[in-house]
Amino acid sequence: MANLRGHLAETGAAVGIPAAGKEDAIRRLVGLLGNDAAIADADALVEAVLEREFLSPTGVGEGCALPHAHSNAVAELRIAVATLATGVDFGGPDGKPARLVVLMVGPESSAGLHLKLLAKLARLLHDPSFRAKALAAPDGKALANLFLSRDT
Amino acid sequence: MKLLVFVLNKEEMLEEVLEAYVEAGVGGATILDSEGMGRFLAYEVPLFAGFKAFMKGNKPYNKTIISVIRRDEVVDRLKALVDEVVGGLDNPGTGIMFTIPVDWSTGLVREEEEV
Repeated sequence: MANLRGHLAETGAAVGIPAAGKEDAIRRLVGLLGNDAAIADADALVEAVLEREFLSPTGVGEGCALPHAHSNAVAELRIAVATLATGVDFGGPDGKPARLVVLMVGPESSAGLHLKLLAKLARLLHDPSFRAKALAAPDGKALANLFLSRDT
Repeated sequence: MKLLVFVLNKEEMLEEVLEAYVEAGVGGATILDSEGMGRFLAYEVPLFAGFKAFMKGNKPYNKTIISVIRRDEVVDRLKALVDEVVGGLDNPGTGIMFTIPVDWSTGLVREEEEV
């Protein structure tokens, strides 16, 4: 089973962050990855995620979104998680703005792992009790650990 | 008695594959239009749209042929013939063939009526 540990750090999660729109939300989530040595070019990552959004939206419904992209601007797969202060439209099938957003970026060489983790994250976000716990997380550390607790 | 399942990725070879079935002694089969999981996820589920690029060269649709086989030797003959037709089932992307034991059936063509 693909695990989140090693890809999602406690510092890669935050709660209640403000975001003016989809692009701003993505930029702030990339920002959560901070000075990670795996990231060669944060701006290129934002562009890659926005390009992927242009292909088709990544809102999965029920106020959740999973923006992601393959990009060689990152050397290893990285994940950031945030709850937003106010919902942002990620084109979810039910039209609900997303307040729980998980961003995943990875090099093209990790497409297999990317696919498995994307499927795992989608499964977690489809679980109502998991969503409720994530949205109620008091801080980034608790939010990250909630996701990491679902590793096997 | 076995259920033989063959997912044929090279749809254009269906006619020759069915000829092999007849030659091997398979008395009847059901052919289903099917599609691979990769195609469905990449093209029908927006979240996975980013993986379309990884589908290049893959066959999006396939045919699934199911048939009940009474005698094991028919499977052996069919495997050899189908290998010839599709160029070796060991080659990735060609197709998947497997059998499952069948403990009961009804409605099959009578053995003496099989071609």
